Amino acid sequence: MTPALPTAVEIAASIRSKRVSAREIAAAALARLRTTGPELNAFTLVTADRALAEAVKVDEAIATGRDPGPLAGVPYAVKNLFDLAGEVTVAGSKINRDDPAATADATAVTRLHQAGAVCLGAVNMGEYAYDFTTENSHYGPTRNPHDPTRSPGGSSGGSAAAVAAGIVPIALGTDTNGSIRVPASFCGIWGLKPTYGRVSRTGAFLFVESLDHVGPFARSVADLAVTFETLQGPDPRDPACSARAAEPMTGLTSGPAGLRVAVLGGYFEKGASAEARAAVGQVAAALQADRRVELPTPELARAAAYTITAAEGGHRHLARLRTRAGDFDPKTRDRFLAGALSPAAWLLQAHKFRAAWRDQIREIFRDVDILLAPATPVSATKIGQDMVELDGIEVPLRPNLGLFTQPISFVGLPVVAAPVWTAGPLPIGVQLIGAPWSENSLLRVAWALESSGVCRAPVAKIE
Amino acid sequence: MPSFNSPDVVAQVEQHHDAYERALIAHDVAALDGYFWDSPDVVRYGVSEHLYGAEAVAEYRRSGGPTLTDRRLVRRKVVAIGDNVASVMCEFHQKVFGQPRHSRQSQVWVRLDGGGWKIVAAHVSNALMGPPQAGSLEAFADQTAAVLGVPLAAAHRPGVVQNLERAAAIAAPLLKLPLAAEAEVASVFVP
Repeated sequence: MTPALPTAVEIAASIRSKRVSAREIAAAALARLRTTGPELNAFTLVTADRALAEAVKVDEAIATGRDPGPLAGVPYAVKNLFDLAGEVTVAGSKINRDDPAATADATAVTRLHQAGAVCLGAVNMGEYAYDFTTENSHYGPTRNPHDPTRSPGGSSGGSAAAVAAGIVPIALGTDTNGSIRVPASFCGIWGLKPTYGRVSRTGAFLFVESLDHVGPFARSVADLAVTFETLQGPDPRDPACSARAAEPMTGLTSGPAGLRVAVLGGYFEKGASAEARAAVGQVAAALQADRRVELPTPELARAAAYTITAAEGGHRHLARLRTRAGDFDPKTRDRFLAGALSPAAWLLQAHKFRAAWRDQIREIFRDVDILLAPATPVSATKIGQDMVELDGIEVPLRPNLGLFTQPISFVGLPVVAAPVWTAGPLPIGVQLIGAPWSENSLLRVAWALESSGVCRAPVAKIE
Repeated sequence: MPSFNSPDVVAQVEQHHDAYERALIAHDVAALDGYFWDSPDVVRYGVSEHLYGAEAVAEYRRSGGPTLTDRRLVRRKVVAIGDNVASVMCEFHQKVFGQPRHSRQSQVWVRLDGGGWKIVAAHVSNALMGPPQAGSLEAFADQTAAVLGVPLAAAHRPGVVQNLERAAAIAAPLLKLPLAAEAEVASVFVP
């Protein structure tokens, strides 16, 4: 077995100090991909030529004394809905294979490229991101590196699996209702869903424009922070992207002192398994958070997010539903069709409620800074599993994996998904939730949790 | 003019048809083969398949076919024509993709010399459900799909209606919510 790659920060430091070349790192990542890739079924496209060409540029920059960027020579993977120049953006679908190749990189990819990172390829996802398990009928299921009989979560399951397997230290995903936080939880790694509008989505094949976020996965908080720092900032080509300037992440090692932390109670505990509650308990204890806060009507926030998702997602695919409904993944098709037909009154009510609920949540953050909740109600579930028991009741698994993530992203709050290991063999994530634009605080807390060993994201042991 | 509806013949055919129904529900392929006339002239029309000859009928059975465990006869009419021929017409209910279906089956049974009663021709069809009830999500789905120019394939329709039902249930508490007049979704234009 070829060795796993170190963290992004370690790789960039080694390359900058000329202990290793970017080419050698790219070759090591490709070797790791070859030995672990087939079983995990994470990659749908390997851009080996591009990776080697980008690595050569980094090595040239170093040789001629130019700054190669903070992610110099760091290999990364993208969910296959991100445009890569010269490649077709499939977004987990069969239909988009007939699209022309992208003429330019997505903004997020461009920023990683400018920071010196090296693109290794594109990874699997649930079709058009309407998914929480990455069981894709066209490309097959991606497997969880910690247990290949289990799902890596979805819809950014390929991204999380590639990072957890040590093929790449960082990867890009998207999160509409939990598609970064659910796979981060299932794969035991760090995920960051930024504030809505803080990271550009230009060149990402969108799912639900009102709820879509782009964000990174990593196995260390330092990697998560430097990747987020690279990605953030205005982009006039994304109408939802804020004009507010990028801000450096500072004081990450300064600890959580001064931040008021509380556990989300009620709805966010009721449906949680024992391990999910234990994970939140471990994080709360480490942060000495003994307060409980309840959000008003989180079930309505989830209902409204569901409604917006169905209607906007269905509308986005209207032309494809007219001509190629039979080519959709049967797992998404009927939901997209139903969404495309849904009445305007449902959607408008959901959007108006969103505005009102956002104001209520803003009030909550007057006297608390960080809220804790499970990322998923359970740890990684089996591939093919349809039902799960929550709060003593058997419920359909797939829609319920977003139980705790959906109300939070509904109003665009930034979240770090933190990997926790409880008594069981599998990890589970805890959401560190903040007010809009509080990523710096979330990363400070994450740093403290990582330093104290409460959270960790080891490379999966792969036989 | 043959004699019609000899009670003895009707009873015999009903008995055979009962057994045939049980074999269908149990998906007892060998038994089902035995009920059909072993001849290249046997015909069976399914809802979507057209099978000519015993081989084609047997092959269809072996290719799987739908699960019929919840199939339930709701009405049957057996007419005996002479001593050796009978028509068996029935209506039955079963769920397809969780949605109730009303279907019909027509069969001609013939008593062969020494071979017992066999089906020589059969046809299954789905009843048109009639126009969906006004205000139902079925009607809504059909009409909205037509307005938007989205063809709704018969195979996808039950799943779409089911998802609309789920979405309606989820949206219901939201729609009951009184929202302030100033709760609006406005785009803001900054110079």
